[in-house]
Amino acid sequence: MKVVHSWLKEYVGEALPDAQGVEALLNFHAFEIDGVEVVEGETVLDVDVLPNRSSDCLCHRGIARELAANLDVPMTYDPLATTPNLPETDQIQVTIQNQEACPRFTASLLQGVTVADSPDWLQKRLRAIGQRPINNIVDATNYVMYAIGQPLHAYDADLFPKTDGAWEFVVRDAKAGETVSLLAEGGKTEERVVELTGEELLIVDGSSDTPIGLAGVKGGSYAGVHAGTKNIIVEAAHFHPTLTRQTARRLGIVIDASKRFENEPSRELPLYAQSEIIQLITDIAGGECAGVIDEYLEKVTNPTVVVTTKKTNSLLGLSLDAAKIAQLIARTGSKVTNDGETLSATGPFERTDLQIEEDFIEEVGRLYGLDKIESIVPEKTALPPVNARQYYTEQIRQTLLSLGFSEVITSSFQKKATVQLQNALASDKSYVRSSLAKNLHSVLDANISHVDLLGIKDVRVFEIGTVFSKSDTAITEHVSLGLGVRTKGNGFSAPDERILVDACEKIEDLLGLSLAWEKEKGVAELDLSTVLTQLATPNVYEPVSTQTPVQYTPVSPYPAISRDIALWVGESVDPKTVESVITAAAGPLLVRIDLFDEFSKDGRTSYGFRIVFQSFEKTLTDAQIAAVMQTVNAAVVQQEWKVR
Amino acid sequence: MQIKPGHQHPMTRMIAEINEIFSHIGYEFVEGPEAELEEYNFDRVNVPKDHPSRDMQDTFWFKNQDVSRPTLLRTHTSPVQARFMENNQPPIRIIVPGKVFRNEATDATHEAQFYQVEGLYVDEGVSLGHLKGVLEYFFSHFFSGKTEVRFRPSFFPFVEPGIEVDMKLLEGDSKLAGKWIEVMGAGMVHPNLLKVAGIDSEKYSGFAFGMGIDRLGVMKYGVEDVRDFYTGDLRFVNQF
Repeated sequence: MKVVHSWLKEYVGEALPDAQGVEALLNFHAFEIDGVEVVEGETVLDVDVLPNRSSDCLCHRGIARELAANLDVPMTYDPLATTPNLPETDQIQVTIQNQEACPRFTASLLQGVTVADSPDWLQKRLRAIGQRPINNIVDATNYVMYAIGQPLHAYDADLFPKTDGAWEFVVRDAKAGETVSLLAEGGKTEERVVELTGEELLIVDGSSDTPIGLAGVKGGSYAGVHAGTKNIIVEAAHFHPTLTRQTARRLGIVIDASKRFENEPSRELPLYAQSEIIQLITDIAGGECAGVIDEYLEKVTNPTVVVTTKKTNSLLGLSLDAAKIAQLIARTGSKVTNDGETLSATGPFERTDLQIEEDFIEEVGRLYGLDKIESIVPEKTALPPVNARQYYTEQIRQTLLSLGFSEVITSSFQKKATVQLQNALASDKSYVRSSLAKNLHSVLDANISHVDLLGIKDVRVFEIGTVFSKSDTAITEHVSLGLGVRTKGNGFSAPDERILVDACEKIEDLLGLSLAWEKEKGVAELDLSTVLTQLATPNVYEPVSTQTPVQYTPVSPYPAISRDIALWVGESVDPKTVESVITAAAGPLLVRIDLFDEFSKDGRTSYGFRIVFQSFEKTLTDAQIAAVMQTVNAAVVQQEWKVR
Repeated sequence: MQIKPGHQHPMTRMIAEINEIFSHIGYEFVEGPEAELEEYNFDRVNVPKDHPSRDMQDTFWFKNQDVSRPTLLRTHTSPVQARFMENNQPPIRIIVPGKVFRNEATDATHEAQFYQVEGLYVDEGVSLGHLKGVLEYFFSHFFSGKTEVRFRPSFFPFVEPGIEVDMKLLEGDSKLAGKWIEVMGAGMVHPNLLKVAGIDSEKYSGFAFGMGIDRLGVMKYGVEDVRDFYTGDLRFVNQF
């Protein structure tokens, strides 16, 4: 929600701090600020209004109220302070056929307006929050929504036929197959005609039963305001949040108006909005108000809630007295009565989120300052029961690690398996895995070319993870253990199987069970959940081994190239010395050097090193590596060592 | 020939460390299904159907014809709170590490699958002060240095009051030291969760927190792209 600093100041007054001050205050007491920018000289803050406050704070007045509460100052102007007293009219009739979906509908008649561009100040404010000014009437409806959070819609009264001398609005359920023509979407000029399922709520011109708006979601172009409009009807209503949300989602129309309705703003708001817009339009477009009709079928008032000092302090970890708590709650605009230890609080009508004691306790914590909560150091207690899955999987891990296996975690999504998702992220991720084997084969394929870079002889991996299957009526899952071995670049070979069988046996030894492995081409898999049911309950976890701090280095996306060098050196020359000579000569492209061969004969020693080169900038060519190797050879010769 | 030992994945290593740190203050390691019922993932943790708070978590659903009750890939570890409280009376101290799923576009800081750890403590007189103490204890051990925690207001449907937690490592020369970093959401367990589970919300209160373990890994090890955790690439794993 974008808010203009000068607009807030209209409500909060001189006590309002600058943008930085507002940001700090809101961050620690209400909402995070996503950004601050200056548009045409106006400072604009982007406030991340929390979902529970989207009922009252998706507007300038709401944020201003929040700031005033935090500053502990009265608002200098509050559009919600006084109940509007507006003239009535019988020139507009309203019939609500679905009271639950539309408990309140108001409409005002304004005569003799002059449609023109809005004054500069108003245009500037709308542009500052990213809205495009259209004309003074439409701009006024938008302005009031961003001011107090109530969406409105204006019609040209002269394009709206009358029934028996009155304009008639009907709010009714849509019929299946019925269509409604909606205002063009942002940036487009074409109207959007929507076919309805019958679950939506419509606003209808009673004279012809023509749908003119999709209630709560979007207005229509019917009887639209144009340059020559003289008389207007302005609608402000309350629509059911769930119904609005369902319709908006189904049709993919999520606009500022629907977003406000679906967060359940107060049912009291429409009349305040009428009061605001009548004043604004008569100010900027002239004319006068002939009256308002207010069809208010079902009033909802905020509950009076008992707030105890005991519960407040016990949840927050504070020790406030009743008077202090009462004072903090009162700052939100709530009514509070104090009866010693027990307070009774009623939230102001616009705070539809203040329903239970805990809601008020949250207000106390926020306004008092969450930074004042002192830490209570946890006590050492008896050790908790041991989780057998965690215990045994850790044991299996440690065994496999000692056998040279590294652990991977692979995607739970696959292109094809047995259990399909209703809504996948991508076509190659539309199933969940039913085994680990396929992923482990891919892991082996991908890693075998990195053995030199990693300084390993072969690839040994394992994964412990959840796999899914289907029963008749449900999705079932179990924890699976998968192992994979690859020794050669061109795929599965007999040595893979030997290493694998040995690892499987070591796990059977560890668990003291003979296990039913599924083996295929260097990959073995086991249903670990079933195995766990056969194991004794462990009593205490093994301590986690200490680890020297690791700082991860990103991996180069370019391939590595390896070269071997074997050389004769004097018998007393240590391999570390040779390694450092080679490393210095090879320069920055050398990423790894491993001694793979060593023997002595006739007073000389032979060392064989594998050197791996890789660049972070490009794929290295054979020619580049040949040049580096030449430098290495030259450096070796200079030491009077002999390349074999 | 001596075999070089393999490398443990940093995720399971972090889970083992988290478990060890919390087990010393009596927290039990508890789990729940990854294919979870809608009812537990949402309704029982106070996220009603068609409520805007469901927008906070985009969900992968299983096909209706495959299940008798709507089932999804859990979007958080919070359903385990509901499952555990249903079958246990206070005092309750649990942590729930596990894989969760979000139907969102992925980038260096978002994966469609990642790990969370949930914490829950329900007893008589549990307050935000206990939460602050437990988190400072945890972070100080996990990041090996005295750590301070601060709270800011936030909203999660399963807690009231809801808070956002920032941490600051006070010591050491790590890149993290001396800076406030937003780490997780938390709050006091919403009374609706206690009631649904059959726990007397007048007698007992509790705190709950949930944080991304991937994010802890980013902080602890300097991993720059959370997707690296799930590639199966040993050039990643073997650095740990």
